[in-house]
Amino acid sequence: MRDYSLSKMFFDLQQPALAAEFKANRDSVLARYSLSPEVRTAIRENNVPFLAERTNAYLLRYYFFATGMKDAEFIRRIRGG
Amino acid sequence: MASFAGAFASSHGPLLVREWDSIPQDEKLRLEKAFRELGRRVTAARPDVLVAVSPDHWANFSLDNYPAVCIGVGETSEGPPEPWMKAYPHRQIAAHPDLAFHLLNESLKEGFEPSMSHRLKLDHGTCIPLWRMELAKMPAIVPMLVNSIEPPMPSLARCLAWGKLLRKAIESYPGDLRVGILATGGLSHSIGEKTMGAIHADFDRETIRLFGASEPELVRYLEKQLPSRGNGSEEVRNWLVAHGAAGGRGFELVDYLPVPTVIVGCGFASWR
Repeated sequence: MRDYSLSKMFFDLQQPALAAEFKANRDSVLARYSLSPEVRTAIRENNVPFLAERTNAYLLRYYFFATGMKDAEFIRRIRGG
Repeated sequence: MASFAGAFASSHGPLLVREWDSIPQDEKLRLEKAFRELGRRVTAARPDVLVAVSPDHWANFSLDNYPAVCIGVGETSEGPPEPWMKAYPHRQIAAHPDLAFHLLNESLKEGFEPSMSHRLKLDHGTCIPLWRMELAKMPAIVPMLVNSIEPPMPSLARCLAWGKLLRKAIESYPGDLRVGILATGGLSHSIGEKTMGAIHADFDRETIRLFGASEPELVRYLEKQLPSRGNGSEEVRNWLVAHGAAGGRGFELVDYLPVPTVIVGCGFASWR
């Protein structure tokens, strides 16, 4: 399953300027995308398995890399740890 | 008329840049040697143009429009947009629009329907091999982006057929050019999945062996294995394009080594 808006936001966050804005004011960026309350919560809580079911794996990994999550932590979380 | 200068393949992966200094010395030396040997073979083939067959890692395409195949027909391509590729020395990469349009037109005549772009960004998938091969002279690069990132993807048989078509189209180009193919990606790796980090060296070695066997056997094996060998393994499609262009003859393996630090089964090959 693909959540278009979530995937679009992850795609857009590859732009350094938007990534910097996201880091400074996440809610302001989130407000520009048509995200369900569940997806917004999953982003705020770094719920990797929930988001993994809704977007491309490469985009998911880019997002968490760009927001500073180490690969080991990403792997632990995606495996439900 | 143009001539076919050869086909080459190389793995890529972000950690070949980001974690380069963390790779154990013996593996790093082998990687350096393999990249340089591949570069030596490319140089010896004297290509004026390389058709770079690579996936688009979301540098150009989004869910708004993700083509199965896209050929870059612009005068130039942009260098890699990834922040960690800033040190890559080429920010504008010369292309060959006349050849690219010829490939596009010949494809359409044969019932293949790629999309086209007048301005592509070449991400790490294309640029890491070009960088690490340390080519003294950069050929013009005609990008051919094949979707191996977002399902559904072109069939494996279609990728082989693409290679055969490319060869025919290259050899019908009315210009004095030597044109090679550089396929990038693979072999096994897993990105952003539960299995992230897994390398299936047994799968990689069998895939390498089967490139020397019959095409149906190779395709059957890959169709069965790819769903369980990590999403990065899907990039073997690009190797199939090169294989088809080289006439299905087996390649000479430059080197293969699984490198856990970069989480990729790294393969390097040139076709006979």
